[in-house]
Amino acid sequence: MANSTSQPDATSSATIEASHARHGEHVDTIENVDIVFRKQRKLSFTYGAVFFAVTLLIPVFTVWWPWWWEVTFWGGFTANYFVVALLYFVFLWVMAWVYSYQADKLDAQLAHMDMEEQQALEIDQIRQAAAGTDEGSAT
Amino acid sequence: MNTTAIVLVAALVTITIGLSIFSQRFTRTTTDFYLAGRKVGSFTNASAISGDYLSAASFLGVAAAVYASGLDGVWYAAGFAGGFMVVVLFIASALRRFGEYTVADFAFGRFGTNRMRLVSVFCVLIVSLFYMAPQMYGAGSTWKVLVGRGFLPSNDAGLFLGVDPVYLSGVIVVAAIMMFYVAMGGMKGTTLNQVIQFWWLWLAMFLVVAFAFGNGFDYAKNLQEASDGQLVATTALTATALTTPDPKTGVTPLEKAKGVMTPEGFAEVEAAVAKNDPVAKIPVVLPAANKLHEVKLLFNAPGHRYNAFDQFSMVLALVLGTAGLPHILNRYYTNPSGKAARRSTFWVLIFIGTFYIMAPIAGLFGRLEVFKQFFAGTAPSNAAYVDGYLVKSDALMPALGQMLGGQALLGIVAAGAFAAMFSTVGGLLIASASAIGHDVYEKYINPNASQRRRVYVGKTAVIVFALLGLFLGWVIPYSDLPNVYPALIAMMVTWAFAVGASAFVPMLLTGIWWKGTTERGAITGMIVGLAGSVGIIFLNILQQVGTIGKTGVFGFLGSLTFPVLFTFPAALLTILIVSKIDGKLPDNVDQIWLRIHGTASERHEKQHGLDKVGSLLGGKK
Repeated sequence: MANSTSQPDATSSATIEASHARHGEHVDTIENVDIVFRKQRKLSFTYGAVFFAVTLLIPVFTVWWPWWWEVTFWGGFTANYFVVALLYFVFLWVMAWVYSYQADKLDAQLAHMDMEEQQALEIDQIRQAAAGTDEGSAT
Repeated sequence: MNTTAIVLVAALVTITIGLSIFSQRFTRTTTDFYLAGRKVGSFTNASAISGDYLSAASFLGVAAAVYASGLDGVWYAAGFAGGFMVVVLFIASALRRFGEYTVADFAFGRFGTNRMRLVSVFCVLIVSLFYMAPQMYGAGSTWKVLVGRGFLPSNDAGLFLGVDPVYLSGVIVVAAIMMFYVAMGGMKGTTLNQVIQFWWLWLAMFLVVAFAFGNGFDYAKNLQEASDGQLVATTALTATALTTPDPKTGVTPLEKAKGVMTPEGFAEVEAAVAKNDPVAKIPVVLPAANKLHEVKLLFNAPGHRYNAFDQFSMVLALVLGTAGLPHILNRYYTNPSGKAARRSTFWVLIFIGTFYIMAPIAGLFGRLEVFKQFFAGTAPSNAAYVDGYLVKSDALMPALGQMLGGQALLGIVAAGAFAAMFSTVGGLLIASASAIGHDVYEKYINPNASQRRRVYVGKTAVIVFALLGLFLGWVIPYSDLPNVYPALIAMMVTWAFAVGASAFVPMLLTGIWWKGTTERGAITGMIVGLAGSVGIIFLNILQQVGTIGKTGVFGFLGSLTFPVLFTFPAALLTILIVSKIDGKLPDNVDQIWLRIHGTASERHEKQHGLDKVGSLLGGKK
């Protein structure tokens, strides 16, 4: 495949090289994307581990812990029925909300890194321009 | 069906068709036809995804499963909802950022070969057909229960083409409506319809539950009441089967029934047995066997449906399978950004979560109320009963509608059931059509086709797949599967989840999160997942119909009701091992990584206001 492609989105002047992706004045470098990707992967797999642990603990208790399905604590509710019919949904809502919030923050971090690099670039250009002016005035 | 119900169902169909005709004016490009212009907001998209997801199996089936099986039925609700956590954590935003049209596009873009795209298209079609089959069978069955009339002739045996003509009439009507409305409206029309259909069925469930609370429902107290004594289940057996002793215990089913039925109810069963008809199946109430623990089974305890192995494999099939359903994944491309895709999934969890909390309440309330009203002589006449229990638990929701809110609520519930069918079949048709129209026609057959031509091919593909759905709806009862699997709709839905979880999810997970995944690894893993899950499902069918025995390798594999516990890890391991051995990464892997995990495109769109959610009725004319 080619080393440079264009995004299918015709709304932006997009170029994607192996080292960076540029959409208008916004740039993602592969180094920055890799840094944020690692954090994102850690976040997703940590939440994924908690999700699967909780989800699979329910059948584990159901199979091996009689108290879980035998003892009622509120009318006919056993812990097993209460968790599967009600509490599990609250767990999903809270987890999805907190995860989305944290993932949004990582998106913002990538944007921030781009902004910092652009600022650094601008400062560099200003310094170079200033140095050029100084040299000019010195001569 | 009563007049109110007919009017409400007709109104729903009219709105559906009207919206499709209206949406057609705004469908000019393939992005409009397949992706609704990529500008569907989180709330709207979440409603449409929920409509896509909640089929008749959820609307009628979950409450019915709880009614029949208690706690094991509630597991369906929790598992169906839990599946979206896998989507939000691992797939939603990455898939959207990749910015294509279909799952096959992702596979091609990520791994870069045509064979990868074609294998993905094949998997999409297989998963969609697996999911279409129960929807069409559910359409015919629901039509039979709710409408009860057909327009097809019948022979001396009361059959048309070997099946019930009323059932087949329902399949034809639903297929025809779907064919028309999806082909006319494309994704925009389908999205608008799915939003309305979802909120209709959510409202129908809400009203049933609200009426239940209005009639004195107390969750904890009623659960205690329902769990006071052995759980019983209805079944239908021949006179011979009823009088044949169990080889282990020496007790006949008839003797067991005597222990749990009322004297009047049991007398009716005895009278039917006395006729000694070798073919007729006699409805009977039996104590429910506990498949999990060696104790008496109660309503609030596990063990009616699942043994220890199935407690795990069923949950994994549902939780992993959602992320492998192409018609659900395609909807993520309609979001304006990766962040919006995550937000949509959160709203989906709220919408379907509240729905799945209500469905078990309806099931529990029905368990008590149907019994009471049967003996009070006020139970609805539109359902069959044995000793105070519904013979077919799928009739619970319409029965509850009529008991709680009379003809009006029955009408709302009936329209809700059809809304559930329409919305899911609509999504499946779009997914199948995009696999052929976009992934095959536009990429290989005629890449230079005009937008008009491409949309035309997409519409033709919708019609072809609706006809295929019609065929599936006919062949299922013809093949006698409903007699082999008592809860066939739920079983077939779970099969579709298992195939999706095995064929797609390992490829998506590794493709998104592991740069080292190679094309050869992904393709081998998909084939292992697809072939393994489909093969085991067919072995299970062959075992159930008695073609193969229960011993040997095939016997063991055929005994696996839910194959995902084996096929998902097998596919995942295959991808990991083959990729490690292969080691041949795509040349442009860094560019791919920038597309999947970078956000420059979204920031650019945000800066220029291009990420704004557009009206579904906007677009090029």
